[in-house]
Amino acid sequence: MHKNSSENPLVPQIVEVVKIIDETPDVKTFYVRDESGVPFNVMPGQLAMVSMLPIGEGMFSVSWQEEQDHLEFAIKSVGLMTSEIHRIEVGQKLGVRGPYGNGFPVEKCKGKDMLFIGGGIGLAPLRSFIKYCFKHREDYGKIQIIYGSRSYADLCFKEELFELWPREKDSETFVTIDKPEEGWEGNVGFVPAYLEQLNPDPANKIAVICGPPIMIKFVLQSLEKMGYQDEQIITTLEMRMKCGIGKCGRCNIGSEYICLDGPVFDLAQLRQLPPEW
Amino acid sequence: MKILKKNQLDTLWERLARNAELYLPTQKGDQSGFFSYKTLKPEKDTLMLDALNVYLSPKNIVLPQTEMMYSFTHQGQEINLEEVYEDPTPRIIFGLRSCDVKSIDRLDTVFFTRGFVDEYYRSRRENTLLILNACYHPGPNCFCEAMGLSPRESESADIILHDAGEEGYIWVANTEKGRELTGNIEDILEEKEISYPQPRPFTREVDYTGVAEKLKDMFSHPIWHPLSDPCINCGICTYVCPNCYCFDIQVKTRGEEGYRYRCWDSCMYGEYTMMAGGHNPRETGMERFRNRFLHKLEFFTERYGEPLCTGCGRCIAVCPTGINIIEIMEKAKGVEPSA
Repeated sequence: MHKNSSENPLVPQIVEVVKIIDETPDVKTFYVRDESGVPFNVMPGQLAMVSMLPIGEGMFSVSWQEEQDHLEFAIKSVGLMTSEIHRIEVGQKLGVRGPYGNGFPVEKCKGKDMLFIGGGIGLAPLRSFIKYCFKHREDYGKIQIIYGSRSYADLCFKEELFELWPREKDSETFVTIDKPEEGWEGNVGFVPAYLEQLNPDPANKIAVICGPPIMIKFVLQSLEKMGYQDEQIITTLEMRMKCGIGKCGRCNIGSEYICLDGPVFDLAQLRQLPPEW
Repeated sequence: MKILKKNQLDTLWERLARNAELYLPTQKGDQSGFFSYKTLKPEKDTLMLDALNVYLSPKNIVLPQTEMMYSFTHQGQEINLEEVYEDPTPRIIFGLRSCDVKSIDRLDTVFFTRGFVDEYYRSRRENTLLILNACYHPGPNCFCEAMGLSPRESESADIILHDAGEEGYIWVANTEKGRELTGNIEDILEEKEISYPQPRPFTREVDYTGVAEKLKDMFSHPIWHPLSDPCINCGICTYVCPNCYCFDIQVKTRGEEGYRYRCWDSCMYGEYTMMAGGHNPRETGMERFRNRFLHKLEFFTERYGEPLCTGCGRCIAVCPTGINIIEIMEKAKGVEPSA
């Protein structure tokens, strides 16, 4: 009656946390791997289920680049499982299963200028795509990144934002925080306003958005105003998930399952769905 | 043709139960459903071979209300996955109706297709044999034909029984599995030519034609407010529904040991879509009600080509506030196209 099966997509693989980075007061990035390296390969924008086995599972955007021997999860502490995972230390064993979801359309975006617009922890999925573009630099045109958070302390991935990405050729990184702060010389204001001020030309461009729902809503309005077509705008959706394989039911919007058919949709696809996103 | 005399039923069940878990439609106290033959107490329980329908569908036999997924131990930072539980016990469901066979078909569609196979479901389903009791006298809430299935035929039933009254059941082996089982019990069956019973008409007129297309443009229609007003989101419709398959995954931990299990969930409950941080895309009862009926009548049809309702009528029979899926279809059809 009982047997072990590694083919069962609902059973996690055990990995070890090999590094933990404090990104902000409530965001940490966890590097995980098993003895052989990564338990599976992932494409930018895909998801994986992380298990604190005795506590719970949660679905997160997972980041991996070809040369890496580990997966990265940037996790914000907001609920039961995420606050527990913020307490663990290097050496902790976790479960992971995946990868799930469609990921960003990296092929379709080839030859395009890329505009990434992120807010808060929403930079995590964008970051995998941004790093993928820099790695395959010749496949993509100009790369612009607009990112904002509540305060300087709340900005994720500071080394990449302020050191690494600005040095990449034919790229621009724009960072904003919500309110003025001592020592901050960059832009102050919300992401949609900053976007309108920068006013990036829609010609031959794909805009990729991820952030809190309210930011996404206003960024979509701004992009529309600036002349972006629905097919040029890509975003990722969030829903509660349990299985990750399109069976357990809860992450549907209309007839689409966010875990399987998403999480990435372009605006033309989203407009076909009931307005529940 | 092969005939199973009714006085042979006990012999048949006793034989079938030797090598498989056999389930029969039974009334146990206030509850009726498909219960294991081994647990039947003749002095207390009543067989419900003629019922349309027993309250609980047989879905729990292929998708248990609660099932263990895997167990683990943890100590300090270490975690060991101990066992993965898949359950290939052979099972026979005797006397289920066409609506319930079709609903198992739909579960197959969900759990076997679209990229991932659910191994827990597969291990049960592949070892389950279905003996259909064809319907000749539709019940007061029955509308299976309107949902695109035949009450007396089914591709997925392994054996089909036609109740010819005192003559017994006409026994038709319908699949390879069904023919194999028939071969093993052939000595109980008789060879005789008798006529099939005369079917009686349905008592309810229902027409699903055009409902999915109509609902496609009705997500934001105000009709969902009056339709959902009586609903108390109790979830009983989702538990008795043979098609509802949503599940939750939870963990039980005691000391250094624990296991993960899954259990039926219901889209009627707020927690179903409640995210960490508090955002809930279907916060109100109306939104959950709307999602349930759209899932059954539109979304599932759009995704898989058939509705997620097989017309068994259970939800109509058990709803404490009188919500009726047939009326919802009728009202949707009555809405002005411009609205």
